[in-house]
Amino acid sequence: MPTDTPLAPGNRRAWTNGVLAALTGIFALMAGLFLANLWGRPSRPANPLVDEAFLDTAPWRQSYADLARAKEDLSDFDCYACHEKNEPPPIRYDADLNIIIPEEHETIKMGHGSHQRNNHCFNCHNESNLLVLHTRDGRELSFAESSVLCGSCHGPTYGDWEAGAHGRISGYWDRSRGPAHRLDCVNCHNPHAPRIPSRTPAPPPSPLRGPRTDPSREPTH
Amino acid sequence: MATPPPVPSDKTSDRALSRRSFLRSTAALSGLTALAASLSPLRELDDFTSTEQFLQKYYKELTPEEMTRVLARIEKEVERQYGIRPHVRDLRPMDGVEFVYCLNLTRCIGCRKCVHACVAENNLSRDPEIQYIRVLKLPHGSLDVEKAEHKYTADQVPEKGFFYLPVQCQQCRNPACVKVCPVHATWQESDGITVIDYDWCIGCRYCEAACPYWARRFNFAKPGLPAERINPDMSYLGNRPRKLGVMEKCHFCIQRTRAGRYPACLEVCPVGARKFGNILDPNSEVSYILREKRVFIQLKEEMGTSPRFFYYFDK
Ligand code: HEC
Ligand code: HEC
Ligand code: HEC
Ligand code: HEC
Repeated sequence: MPTDTPLAPGNRRAWTNGVLAALTGIFALMAGLFLANLWGRPSRPANPLVDEAFLDTAPWRQSYADLARAKEDLSDFDCYACHEKNEPPPIRYDADLNIIIPEEHETIKMGHGSHQRNNHCFNCHNESNLLVLHTRDGRELSFAESSVLCGSCHGPTYGDWEAGAHGRISGYWDRSRGPAHRLDCVNCHNPHAPRIPSRTPAPPPSPLRGPRTDPSREPTH
Repeated sequence: MATPPPVPSDKTSDRALSRRSFLRSTAALSGLTALAASLSPLRELDDFTSTEQFLQKYYKELTPEEMTRVLARIEKEVERQYGIRPHVRDLRPMDGVEFVYCLNLTRCIGCRKCVHACVAENNLSRDPEIQYIRVLKLPHGSLDVEKAEHKYTADQVPEKGFFYLPVQCQQCRNPACVKVCPVHATWQESDGITVIDYDWCIGCRYCEAACPYWARRFNFAKPGLPAERINPDMSYLGNRPRKLGVMEKCHFCIQRTRAGRYPACLEVCPVGARKFGNILDPNSEVSYILREKRVFIQLKEEMGTSPRFFYYFDK
């Protein structure tokens, strides 16, 4: 007697139906998954738009000239609202020969040059007329002409600035088509502490796919 | 799963028949649904190339009248897609002008404002993100751009002991990318700008592979541009919106610079590290810099690409 009996026809049909049912189940599941994928697309967090502050072309500081042009508050420059004419304010130093800034001028932090080399107020301000600046060679300048003052001590940088190599000129490179605007030294440098402080950078790139590879793993050519 | 009930043997009963055909048709239906669902990405192809665009002639062969029509078509398409009526121009190189860019590495603080000003000016895709400028961070004393980092996340810049080197298209005199383009969709113009005709590009990405400066970008996906940040001042070879599957790169802000203005990355630079101008004009800033400053770096000079982009240190 053969041990391996072929399936009876009825059994075979049951088997076929079972397979069909299973296949249908799988198909239905796949269709379901596809549809779910269609409606509820797996959401990738969209890149947030960059803060508009990073698109701002305005310089870091507003100069006296800017404030005057925009007709803004110039009370900081109204020296004789507090000072007496013909009575130059006294300059005081602490034990370490650091200049003492009075409370009324607390917005001023001095730090011009290494070793505080250019911290003396009257290197730049005119003690007999606080409303003007003056250079070491005795030229009187209005606050709006402060770049010339800087130039009196920083000759080479001033030369670069005049040629457009230091600082920034914006607007039209083709002067026959439109105006160009040159920033003053004090638009970028605080005259009292001219070193450029550090800033928060704009966000780094976050592409869906990075650049071809990390540059550090790029083969050398 | 419950075991199926015993099926009556031998005879094909009505019940078995209807059940089998039911299963069969369900299987077929599910299969069809699956097929339809798998084809669904096609629904996103709403910006099919129009016949007009498809039949358009090569840029350099367009007559002025044809160009006017092309620009009108582009304006219409942009308006349809973004709801904003742009002003699209075809600005040509100016006589006696050759552009050069100088970048002062002593000044750059790595703030990345140029990167984002460029994105805004040139209608670059925000999602996925495409940027023309990559700011590399390098330790002092090194110039190995292969070892640089560009995803630095410092809270404050500049970081001690590092300097920053922004890299974008170097507008080479001898551009490797132009040579490899099989369809002449990219070429160098007389003012030195290497341009791309987005309507002619086939997206083979040979140029991307050829460029030693990683300057070219490919639109892997449909560019995601928020309508409220569209810059409507556009030019054909410049910042008009790109489409899926084409290359793009820095073009010195053609829409600005050929109209006499400075590029956007320069205008936004808070430290004045970026200098741009006409090298044929002896009074331009770039002429002064190339005359007066001494140490210049042209990235990967040894490749023979001869960039129009000069990096330098003060003093
Ligand atoms: C809000 C009032 C006020 C205004 C406005 C003002 N000052 Fe003063 N300033 C003072 C006071 C108070 C002192 C301290 C005087 C003292 O110690 O006798 C002072 C001190 C000074 C000193 C000496 C600083 C030191 O370190 O000892 C200088 C220089 C000076 N002021 C310059 C100016 C100039 C220039 C202006 C205008 C651009 C100006 N001030 C505007 C109130 C003012
Ligand atoms: C009276 C001369 C004098 C004037 C005027 C002057 N400076 Fe200075 N400046 C100096 C000296 C001295 C140093 C220190 C140089 C050094 O330490 O090597 C210095 C240093 C600097 C530095 C380098 C950063 C630092 O703190 O060491 C900057 C930036 C600067 N000055 C900007 C300016 C600006 C902007 C102006 C105009 C508002 C100006 N200076 C006006 C004398 C002057
Ligand atoms: C390097 C030159 C220089 C030195 C030194 C200097 N100042 Fe000034 N100061 C200027 C310039 C330039 C301006 C105008 C800046 C502008 O246009 O924004 C100014 C503006 C001011 C103002 C009005 C605006 C403000 O920031 O409040 C006051 C007050 C002032 N200085 C006080 C002083 C005092 C006090 C000292 C000494 C502790 C001093 N300055 C030292 C160059 C200098
Ligand atoms: C667009 C902004 C900007 C303007 C405008 C500008 N500077 Fe600077 N300057 C800088 C930056 C950035 C540095 C690098 C500063 C640092 O490292 O502290 C710098 C550095 C300097 C230094 C230090 C020496 C050096 O070369 O590194 C001096 C001095 C100086 N500037 C003077 C001036 C003078 C004078 C003017 C105007 C005639 C001026 N700057 C205008 C941005 C500016």
